[in-house]
Amino acid sequence: MNNVLELKNIIKNYPDGQQVNEVLKDISFHVQSGEFAAIVGPSGAGKSTLLTIMGALLSPSSGQVLLNNEDISHLSKKQQTSIRLNNIGFIFQNSDLIPYLKISEQLQFIQKISSKPAIDAKEILVKLGLEQRLSSYPRVLSGGEKQRVAIARALVNQPELILADEPTASLDSKRGREVVQIIQQTVHEENKAAVMVTHDERVLDLVDSVWQIEDGKLKKVR
Amino acid sequence: MYLTLKELRHDKLKFTALGLIIFLIVFLVLFITGLANGLANDSGSAIKESSAQTFVLEKNSQARLNRSTLNNQDWKKFSNKYHHNAAKLSVNQMTIQKASQKNKKTDITYYTINADSFLNPKITDGQKLTNKNNNQVIVSSKLKAEGYKLGDKFKDSTSNQAFTISGFTKNQAYSHTPVIFLNQKQTHRILPQVNSFNTIALKAKNIKNSNYQVANKKSVINAIPGYSAEQGSLYLMIGFLYIISLFVLAVFFYIINLQKLSDFGTLKALGTSTAYLVKHVLSEMSLLSISSIVISSVITYLIKLKMPATMPFDLSPTIILGTGILFLAITLISAILSLIKVIKVDPITAIGGNN
Repeated sequence: MNNVLELKNIIKNYPDGQQVNEVLKDISFHVQSGEFAAIVGPSGAGKSTLLTIMGALLSPSSGQVLLNNEDISHLSKKQQTSIRLNNIGFIFQNSDLIPYLKISEQLQFIQKISSKPAIDAKEILVKLGLEQRLSSYPRVLSGGEKQRVAIARALVNQPELILADEPTASLDSKRGREVVQIIQQTVHEENKAAVMVTHDERVLDLVDSVWQIEDGKLKKVR
Repeated sequence: MYLTLKELRHDKLKFTALGLIIFLIVFLVLFITGLANGLANDSGSAIKESSAQTFVLEKNSQARLNRSTLNNQDWKKFSNKYHHNAAKLSVNQMTIQKASQKNKKTDITYYTINADSFLNPKITDGQKLTNKNNNQVIVSSKLKAEGYKLGDKFKDSTSNQAFTISGFTKNQAYSHTPVIFLNQKQTHRILPQVNSFNTIALKAKNIKNSNYQVANKKSVINAIPGYSAEQGSLYLMIGFLYIISLFVLAVFFYIINLQKLSDFGTLKALGTSTAYLVKHVLSEMSLLSISSIVISSVITYLIKLKMPATMPFDLSPTIILGTGILFLAITLISAILSLIKVIKVDPITAIGGNN
């Protein structure tokens, strides 16, 4: 099977006063289509930095980031923006919905700025149980509902890769588990690749592979 | 535009309040501009509306008509050269009263002219001024506000000479007083001892003569008593209003956009280009200011129509349009600070739950 995302020998340095702080030390990683991977680790281990590099938000100091076998590690800001729009779906910790867009418009907006042909956004929302919420604003939604909208938004432009940044952080364990289940089902049904950064050990039974990051080093646990 | 319209729809109250501020400032600017123009007309329209381009005055008269005295020898020098394009003019600020009511006095300005010269004004009703030694004079329609009608008699308060209003001319004023046009024979009855006059008006430009002070129309108007002081302070106010609104709007736009920085971070992380967001902010600000400017222009215009004749107010469509464009520029300059912030937002802020 093809790797959708592959990281080869990624190093990320930050200047820290006179010294150089090495946040990511020679990291290699891969995820295939239809695979749901989780990255776990304590805070400060470099989880978020790793995710920003996977998500074309940050360039690594050295190493290669291959998305569909194309190196995206040293693209311009403009090219990175286009990659994020068209090839990657993001699910953020606090769902980060746009407060002035109604639920259906959150998806419609992504379709507006994208050049890809639009699919039926309403169908995705209905499938995620948000039929009653199509013309609501985010502020009246519960945390679980917001996170489901965020999942729908990540899927609407049909990316190959889904990146989830602690999607259960602001939810109780029951709703958190539901959200991860939805991601799992979507990944398997639509044959996407997904990477979830989490510190919630209770949902790890839902993922296909688990990677552990500690002190900037990543190893596959399962 | 998509985001802009959705956001305006969602945050109606916030944007209405901001629009109201812009509306009030633009309204104040337009109103003071109208007042400044109105006062300028009220002060200098008799000079401004005449077809004279240059005024010859006595040397060292500082372009002030009342400080200049010329005699017939001076007149000959210019009339021989310019013939019909030269005209004598005397300006006397005096007081008149209604023939029947002794205590109803009005300050006026007499313009003594030769009825055959180009200074004889166009009339709106009645008959033109002639050079005959009769009582028929032309007055500014400003006197209508004092209750004078065609055919009314008035008396010069100093000399007790009586005249009849035989015609009205359009709002001609000098130093906030209505102008009454007299011929030389009529003036002689009021001021018998005076044989001189104040200035020679010329229908010609760029004249040099070192024996006289030659002033253009603009400097003569500026030298009308009170004119530059009035205009100066009003334009100072307008200038300050522009500067104040520049800063007030900049602060408001900045705060409004500061609140949305995390949304901009998310939007960028989702793949929205910076150019799109800049357009979004600019169209939001332009839409807001254009609608506020249009509303205040319309309201100012309606107020202008309802303004009483005694309150000098004048606002041409050109000035309204100019003010509107200037203000739009001010709002867009005010938005620059917020734009810098928007451009600098790093999409990484969306990751790690920082907001």
